Amino acid sequence: MQGGEAPVLVCDGLELSFGGLKALKGISFEVRPGEIFGLVGPNGSGKTTTVNVATGFYRPNAGRVRLFGDDITGEKPDRIARRGIARTFQNLALFKGMTVLDNILIGRHIHMNPSALGTLFYWWWAQREEIAQRRIVEDVIEFMQLQDIRDEPVEAIPLGLQKRVELARALVSEPRFLILDEPMAGMNQEEKEYIARFILDAREERGVTILIIEHHMDVVTAICDRAVVLCNGEIIAQGPPRQAIAEPAVIKAYLGERAARRAGMAEVQAPRPSGGEAA
Amino acid sequence: MFYRRSGIRHTRYQDERQLFPLGFDRFLVLAVIGILLAAPFLFDRLYVTGYLLPWLIWSSAALGLNLLMGGAGQVHLGYGAVMAMGAYGSVHLVRFGAPLELAMIAGGLISASIGILFGAAALRVKGIYLAMATLAMQSIVDFVISQTPAISGGALATLQAPPVRFLGISLAGERETYYFALAVCAVITLFMLNVRRTSFGRALAAVREKDYAAEILGVSTLRYKLLAFWVSSFIGGVVGSVLAICYLRAISPDQFHLDLSIQILAMVIVGGLGSVLGPFFGAALVLFAPILINNALGDVLGTFGLSLPIDLRAHLPLMAYGALVIGFLLYEPYGLAKIYSNVRTYLFVWPFRHAQR
Repeated sequence: MQGGEAPVLVCDGLELSFGGLKALKGISFEVRPGEIFGLVGPNGSGKTTTVNVATGFYRPNAGRVRLFGDDITGEKPDRIARRGIARTFQNLALFKGMTVLDNILIGRHIHMNPSALGTLFYWWWAQREEIAQRRIVEDVIEFMQLQDIRDEPVEAIPLGLQKRVELARALVSEPRFLILDEPMAGMNQEEKEYIARFILDAREERGVTILIIEHHMDVVTAICDRAVVLCNGEIIAQGPPRQAIAEPAVIKAYLGERAARRAGMAEVQAPRPSGGEAA
Repeated sequence: MFYRRSGIRHTRYQDERQLFPLGFDRFLVLAVIGILLAAPFLFDRLYVTGYLLPWLIWSSAALGLNLLMGGAGQVHLGYGAVMAMGAYGSVHLVRFGAPLELAMIAGGLISASIGILFGAAALRVKGIYLAMATLAMQSIVDFVISQTPAISGGALATLQAPPVRFLGISLAGERETYYFALAVCAVITLFMLNVRRTSFGRALAAVREKDYAAEILGVSTLRYKLLAFWVSSFIGGVVGSVLAICYLRAISPDQFHLDLSIQILAMVIVGGLGSVLGPFFGAALVLFAPILINNALGDVLGTFGLSLPIDLRAHLPLMAYGALVIGFLLYEPYGLAKIYSNVRTYLFVWPFRHAQR
């Protein structure tokens, strides 16, 4: 939205290998303030690995990561979290055995002063802080429409809602930059639409910049401002999502050589209204 | 039946986060507190000093271990050693003339500062490997204590705890000792109850459940694992000093061996990991089930005029006790506290069958 500001996230020539496997081969891109940035690619192309490097879970073999202009390469995830970044995980990472409310309250951790003594003297030390934070959490619960399940144990609610709780937990830390790793995996159309709406609202109301990893191309083209396509640890296309995913290299990566040739031919020939699905 | 949420409407967050929102729970808690306070006047002194006092002390210890195992998910097989450090530290300080208030805190700090080394192992290994590492630490502490004359006075020596005063009240009498142990237990229980509703407890739970997710929320797993060991060991040290000064009154190294660690571990697991009520149930079962079974067996044999071989007679109660523990864990792996909460949940929706929680 606001132009001319420093980019939120800059990945500069990231390289990472696990043993003999080169997972990332020089990934460079930048996420600008206020945009919804898509990261797409076939399975095993390095999307989650890129995000894990950006959030400090892996240290890259080469390349730098800059967040809000500061170099954060090799910093620990819990330090990076305090810089105003939040993320969700591909496979849900909620804390079982706790209620939805407590799961979201953990998201406020960086804004609180947890201490054992404060716990012992709860009524004098911790209660005021707990309640102040609770108000903020309740705002997010309302925003994410989780009011009626806030006291449920988190493992007892359906997957679609669990994903929403995880998004709420990420949002409640008031991040300036949010990374969503396949927030719509395993969802039906209605749940997908809900999440897409929440993502758009999060940007509108809270001014969050968002990086989203997603396999649903309809979602990527609908809500992303720009997208990068990865394949085998390399960037094979980038730009506005509709153009990026239409590039022959991308079609080749997803559907194979023959499909790419056919797509290329289809462009040369007169465009047909339908029938692109024929394999 | 007794538990009803209907009619309870919270208008403030602190009301909703209170420890016992239900009227019947509050009534039960007050009743138990009342009985415990009146116990020295109600029951025979043998029951108070022989049963209630050790129950309170062992429950406190199990609560401390439960913070670590149930709260932060770290296995610890050396809690007896942690208590030994607190016991020896505070007894020595008291013998040097330090007031009990200070000696207790110092005992806790000694345990905490050495116990945090156990935690250093937890940063590297998890689960069964951590169990082995803490087991090794138990042996090391045992060895150091018994082989250092300056600490234990020699492997077979017994160290007398001198008479002490707490806040000006002499703890020589049995009644005073009981109230002192009750007060310590109450403070630890309050702490454990509050852990479940503060950011400290949530951070520990986050580390227990998913450490990578905790990290990106800003919870340093390194810090909170060490903190869990620190706080848990502190409680262990304080309880160790209470055990030494109020109950044992004379300590020797063999009182804090692996047996004690396993006993407390059993209390935590049988009682219910992560529960505040569990350690109390667990301590009662582990301490008293063998005695009760033994008495019951004696009664049965007596009334029917039977006699058993002497070694079978000695071991049968222990076998029955072992079977009881296995039975409880098979029936409800989450422990006695979970059985209690199942009953409570059943009563919640009675006469209907289906409860959400």
